[in-house]
Order: sequence, then structure tokens, then C-alpha cells
Amino acid sequence: MKTVRLVCAAAIAAAFVPAAFANAPAGSAAPAFTLTDLAGKAVKLADFKGKTVVLEWHNFGCPFVQKHYRSGNMQALQKKYGGEVVWLAVNSTNAGHQDYMKPEALTKTLTDFGAAPAKYLMDEPGAVGLAYGAKTTPHMYVIDGTGKVVYNGAIDDNRSANPADVKGAKNYVAVALEDMKAGKPVSTPSTTPYGCTIKYK
Amino acid sequence: MSPTRLLPRLAAAAAFLAFAAQAAPVRTERVEAELHAEKAAAVAGKPATVGLRLKHDEHWHTYWKNPGDSGLPTKIKWTLPEGWTAGAFQWPHPERLPFGPLVNYGYSGETMLLAELTPPANAKPGPVTITGDADWLVCSDVCIPEKASLRLEFAVAEGDPAPRSGETARFAKARASVPARTEGWKAESTMAGGLLTVRFVPPEGAVAPGKAFFFPDRESFIEPAAPQSLTRDGGGFRLAVKLAQPELKDIGTVAGVIVTEGAWPDLPGRKAVEIAAPLVASFPAPAAALPVPDAPAPAGSGGSLAAALAFAFLGGILLNLMPCVFPVLGIKVMGFVRHAHGDSRALWMQGVVFSAGVLVSFLVLAGLLLALRAGGAQLGWGFQLQSPAFVTLLAALFFLMALNLFGVFEWGGFAQSMTSNVSAQGRYADAFLAGVLATLVATPCTAPFMGAAVGFTLAQPAAISLAVFAMLGVGMALPVLALSLFPGALKRLPRPGPWMETFKQVMAFPLFATVVWLAWVLGAQAGNDAVMMLLAGLLLLALAAWIYGRWAHSESLLRFVFAGAIAAAGLWLAWPHGALAPGTAQASVPRAGEVPWQAWSPEKLAELRAAGTPVFVDFTAAWCVTCQVNKRVALNREEVVKAFADRGVVPLKADWTNHDPRITAALAELGRNALPVYAFYAPGAAQPKLLPEVLTASIVVDELSRLPAPKQAAVPATPKN
Repeated sequence: MKTVRLVCAAAIAAAFVPAAFANAPAGSAAPAFTLTDLAGKAVKLADFKGKTVVLEWHNFGCPFVQKHYRSGNMQALQKKYGGEVVWLAVNSTNAGHQDYMKPEALTKTLTDFGAAPAKYLMDEPGAVGLAYGAKTTPHMYVIDGTGKVVYNGAIDDNRSANPADVKGAKNYVAVALEDMKAGKPVSTPSTTPYGCTIKYK
Repeated sequence: MSPTRLLPRLAAAAAFLAFAAQAAPVRTERVEAELHAEKAAAVAGKPATVGLRLKHDEHWHTYWKNPGDSGLPTKIKWTLPEGWTAGAFQWPHPERLPFGPLVNYGYSGETMLLAELTPPANAKPGPVTITGDADWLVCSDVCIPEKASLRLEFAVAEGDPAPRSGETARFAKARASVPARTEGWKAESTMAGGLLTVRFVPPEGAVAPGKAFFFPDRESFIEPAAPQSLTRDGGGFRLAVKLAQPELKDIGTVAGVIVTEGAWPDLPGRKAVEIAAPLVASFPAPAAALPVPDAPAPAGSGGSLAAALAFAFLGGILLNLMPCVFPVLGIKVMGFVRHAHGDSRALWMQGVVFSAGVLVSFLVLAGLLLALRAGGAQLGWGFQLQSPAFVTLLAALFFLMALNLFGVFEWGGFAQSMTSNVSAQGRYADAFLAGVLATLVATPCTAPFMGAAVGFTLAQPAAISLAVFAMLGVGMALPVLALSLFPGALKRLPRPGPWMETFKQVMAFPLFATVVWLAWVLGAQAGNDAVMMLLAGLLLLALAAWIYGRWAHSESLLRFVFAGAIAAAGLWLAWPHGALAPGTAQASVPRAGEVPWQAWSPEKLAELRAAGTPVFVDFTAAWCVTCQVNKRVALNREEVVKAFADRGVVPLKADWTNHDPRITAALAELGRNALPVYAFYAPGAAQPKLLPEVLTASIVVDELSRLPAPKQAAVPATPKN
């Protein structure tokens, strides 16, 4: 009886959650996607089967993203792990928002910052972000070679927008990638992401 | 905001502070911030309340301690004189801040976060300077991390420091927005199936507000954007909300804040309360909902005991007009006709005794219902008709009464008023039994006003419950009582004579009709064979009655032996052997021109609502006569059938003919315990709309036509606010 009622209530509740907003918690299969990169070329998640993939939700207009780029933290990670993992930055900012940048402008800014993601993917109007349940910029995901999400959450444990706070913070993505390299399960598979709300449509 | 822009402002603020006695607001890009002290000074060793006031630019907001989907809580670092200590923020209750598909928790407009600062016991009187370095994230459609160094020129004083004009009201308002602690409320929670359910029930007699929203203290615990489905549970409620994935594993007690639109019964002016709900394995079955004082009351529901009593009284009177009671009433009135021209005292005594019979049986039935419910049985009003055995007995009784009216036989001892010369005691016994009978057959009928009163009363303490049922009885007995007290109307009828015999025989037909109906009820409950056995049993009863009547003047004992043996055989034959499983009764094959009902189940309803499909649920039972009447005069009418089809409304039938605890529970959630109940779930509506107990085609059509015209792929409403 109780289970029936709960299932009933859950189904009713689920009916009200905006249809598109899903989730990809650690341990679940990473939702497949095809997006275009800054050159307009299609990029599929499936292209990287067998490799570790890092997804970084990105928006240069966000002070929290700026924290990790002005401090050089994100670029350093991208370069350090770029040889072994596929680092994909994803931008889900809607085209009507003041933070939205066109691919050309993004290419220039990325170069200015010395950013080195393998690909920078345009997710306008946000379907992939919604499928992953991405909430903030940055919001980080690590996907293993079998296509399973092994980390979902914040970039580090210091929830500030101050570039000075990068030093001394525990970087969860680096920890996850090191755990994987050592053949261990990821020690902290999920955290609460922090940053600016993603500017979905 | 960049430091280059912030510094000149801070410098300006500091310069201003040098001239100010207290504090001065600091203006950042999107916020005005200021420290306030409630009183002019603190007292050594005692906490003094201060507040960080944040006034946001329009469309900008800062965050609660749990910011929801994104955002950061406001922080402050105090720099205090030697020996002082600072308490944590007392957070005002948050509001939901939807942003696209996400929801954050925080504050817009002006808010004040309170904190207590305590000077040491040995603090010397004199001025002190308090500094608070506050930082916060302020967002509209973009976010800006801001900070301000705030100064408060404060003091330590001896004795009671004076309140400061302007600050007293400000602090009172801030305190009222801090979630209150409630006394005597029971809070508990469960986590199952990806869902958190918090149960919050007030002490007896109190009723919680009708709308509520739960904000958990912990981040990443629930989905902030998920709707929270509220169901009533006695005076309280249950809130169910989707858990965030992955589920937090270290939850022992669910802590948070419940914010309402109404006021809490014991906390005037407070919208928010703190709760700490220990995680339990399961909840007890929900109690029937009490009407919520500040919510729009459902049609016909009473907000108080007085209203429930009034509704019960009205419902009782109207019960007399319902098709269940009418035949019994006919017999009673006929009895009155016989005596209308005779002794008026005997007449009103009969009326009083009849009323007593009604009243006593209402109380006994209600007492039985309450006792069984207290024992955990999921029963509702009219429950005795869910028993095939009871239906069989009632059919047998009615059948015998009809034969008696036909003159096939006369009762022997106790209930002889149908014959002309009987003792006064016999007449009274008959009047009392007529009252009992009228009540027993009345229960499958729900009159207007009655459903809400019965639903209300079953959640009340027993004394109140019984009072409401007694009122129902008083209402039902009243018309007959009035006739017996004022027999003027009856006197217009002809004097007793041979016409009485004709009238008596005519009255047998409504009784036979009732037997036909009961046979149909039994068929729905126990199948075709049971009806066959009932009819065969009735045949034997008829034979027994005939023998008993035919040789009424015989002194031989054989008359009793034969009649008794055959009657017993008849009852044995008719006795039903178990009901069909719930849901298998009434295999409903929709006929052309009828509403294509589908079988109700909680899962089916949830599935349809999840798909955004409008749903109409008919809570019905074969023994519910009002239900059958509504089906004929409203639900199966051409325009109604067409409206269902045109609007894409899925009709579900919840059949309570046999005992089904799922239906009892579903009714309880709607605050009902008697049939019929018609619940219409519009797409996206959190609560169903209950239609009146007595339906007309136009009521249904009007309700359905409020839906947007022809059905498209229905899209669930997204709560974007």
C-alpha cells in the first residue's frame, strides 16, 4: 500500500519537473550527444569510446569560471591531463543572454587565456546541459572509457569566486583522474557544484 | 565587481563612517549592505542581537544557507573586541527563485540576517567597534560575487540598554521571518523510491495551513526545481518531493524549514517553521483531512465543528429524498396515515420512537465504524454493504417485508403495527425498527453536504464524530417527526378504510424494487451464481412465509417446523460464499453511447497525470444508489460522453462495491469517506477538483469545458513561476 502510494506520488511529482531536465549522477551511463565545435564540426561523445572524457560546463561571463581561468587553474589541468583524457568544454548559454559569445569570439578569448580543451562545444539551446543536469559554470563530469559517469560535481572544494582561493583547494577532478590512473575507484564521485547558474533558455 | 571599482566606494564609506555615530550603509554594485544593532549597547556577558541588512536592486538576489541548484550562501567574518563571541546567522526563511529549469533558494528585496554578539562578562562599559567582512553572491541573470567591510560603532553599557527608535520594528520584522519552533507537532520523514516524504502533523485540534513548501538545510538533498506534492493527513500534511541523485546516505534526521502562505495556528504572523523530521521506515495510514482554515474550502466542506454539524443536519434531512430511504419511509408514512385520525399522542410518540430508532442506529453504526477504523481497518461509510452476507440478509428482510405487505402472512409477535389491532408496545417496537431499517438502508446513499461532514468527522476525536453522526440522524428523522407532531397534513387524507389495504399492497412494490437492486449489488460483488442462489433462497423464503400465513390459525406446531425449516434452508442456500477479488467485479465492457470507463488504480492515475492527461475519477459502488442515479442522469448523457471524448479526458472508475483499502485511502486523501465522489484532475493542477455529490450533465460539461479545447499531445505544465 505504502509503496503504491509512494510510486504514485513520485510519478505525479516527476510529471511536474520540467520535461527536459534530467540528471547524470555518478554511476549512471553518460547520455550520448552530438554537438558542434567552434569550427562547426560535429563532435560525438561516442567518438571517444574507450577514453576518459572530462566535461567542463563553461561560460566566460561567469566570475566563477573567470576565477579558474585568471588563476590559470583550468588551463593547467587541461594541459596536464590533455595527453591521456579528452577534455571537452561545453557552453549551454542561450543565444539571447548577455553572456552568450559567438564561436569566433570564443576562439579568440580561449587563445588569449591559453586554454587548451580538446574541443569546445556549443550547446545552444542547452539540450545536452539539461540531459546531464548541469547546474552551474563550472560543473564538471568525468566519464570513463566504458561511458559511465564516474565524477559529477564541483571543480574544487573552495566555493568562492576569488582566484586566490584556488591555492590550497582540493581539486576533485584532479583527484578523480589520479584515482583512475591508479586503477582505483574514484574516491569522491559526487559533490555539489558551485558557480553561476547556467543560462538556459 | 572588480576590486578597482570596489575600493573607492569602500574608501568613501569609511570616510563617511568616521563622522557617523553608528553605522552607515555600504553600496556595492547591486546591493546596499549595513550592520544594525537592536539596542544602543550590549551588556557584559549577555548576547546582543545585530543584523546584516541586505537591500537588493530590483531583480537581484542573494542566497540562503542552502542556495538550491546554484549560488552561494552569504558569509560574514566578524572582527570583534577582545573576548567577544559571535553566533551563527539566524537565517530568515528563503523564497524560491526560479531561473530557467533551475530553482535557487534566497532573498530578494530587503532582508536582514540576524546574529548574536556576546561581550565577555568582564567587558568594561564604553564604546567598541565591530567589523563584519561580509561576502555574498548576488545574481539576476548574471552573478556577481560582492563583498563589503562593514563597521558598527557599538558600546558596552551597564543596566538595560535603551531600545533604539526605528530598530525595534526592524528587528521584530526580521525575527518574525526567522522560522519558528513549534511545540507539540510531530515530524517524521521517509525516503523511498527516489522520493522524500515529510509528514508534519499538529497536536490534536490544530490544523496546519493548506499550502506549504519544504526547504531542506542540506544541499544536494532534494531536487530544488521539483514540485512538492502535498496531501493532507488529519490536521497536518505530507509533502513529497524528488530526491537529488545520487541520494545522500548519511541522513538520520531531515532538517529544514517549512514555509507556508497561510499562518500557523499557534504562531500568529509566522510563515515559516523549523522542522527536524527523524527518518522512519514508514508512516501510519493517513487520517482523513481536516478542512484547512485559510484554504478555499472544497464545496460543501465545513471549516469548523459548527459547520460540520450544520452540514450533517442538512444532509440528514436530504437523505429522506434519496432513493435508498424512500421505500422505507413510505411504509412509515402509511403507518401514520392509519393513526392520523386517531390518538394524536400515540402518533407523536411513534414519531419520537422512530427518531430514537434512527438516532440509536446512526450512533451504533458510527461507533462500529470508528471502532473498526481504530483497529486499523480501512473502512468507510456504507461499509456494511461491502459485505455480500449483509446484502443478502437485507434482501431477505426486504423480501419478507414486501410479502407481509401483500398479506401473504402477518408477523407473529413483535412488529404488528401493520395490522389494525395491536398493543401500543408493538407499535413502538415497530416504529423503532422502522428507524433502524431506514438508517441501515440510508447508508449507501450520500446526500449533498453529507460527504464533507462525514469526511471531516472521521478524523476528529470520537465524541465529536458521534455528535456529527447524531446530527445526521436528527436531520434524517426530522421530517417524519414533524409529520407526527403536526399531523394536520395527514388529516386531509381519507379516513382509514379499504383503501388502506390497497395502499399497503402498493407499498410492497418499492420494497421489491429494493430487493432487485440488492440482487444486482450482490451480482457485482459475488458474481452471477450468487444472484442465482439468492433468488432460489428467496423462493424458499416465500414458501416458508406462505406456509406460515396460510395456516396462521392452525394450532399445530408443524406450521412453525415447516416454515422455520424451509426459511432456514432458504437462507442457507442464499448465503454468499466469498466475494470476488477487488477489481474483477464488474468487468466493464463499455457500450456505445456510454462513457468508456477504465479501471482506476493509483498507478494508472499517476501514469495518466504524469503524461499530462486530464482525468476524471468516479468513486462509485453498486450499492451506492446516488452513484447509480448520477450515472443515469448525468454521466451517461450524450453531451457528457461527447465532452469526455472531445476534451481527451480519461474516465477512471474506482469501484468500492467490495472492500478495497486502496480506494479507502484515496478517498481519505480527498478528505472523503462516503460515496459518491467525483474528482477531476486537470493537467498540471496539484489537487483535483471535487464535483458535487448530486451531479447534473451541465455540471460535468461545464467543468470539462474549462480545459483548453481539443486535445493535442498534452504538455505537462512547467512551474516556471
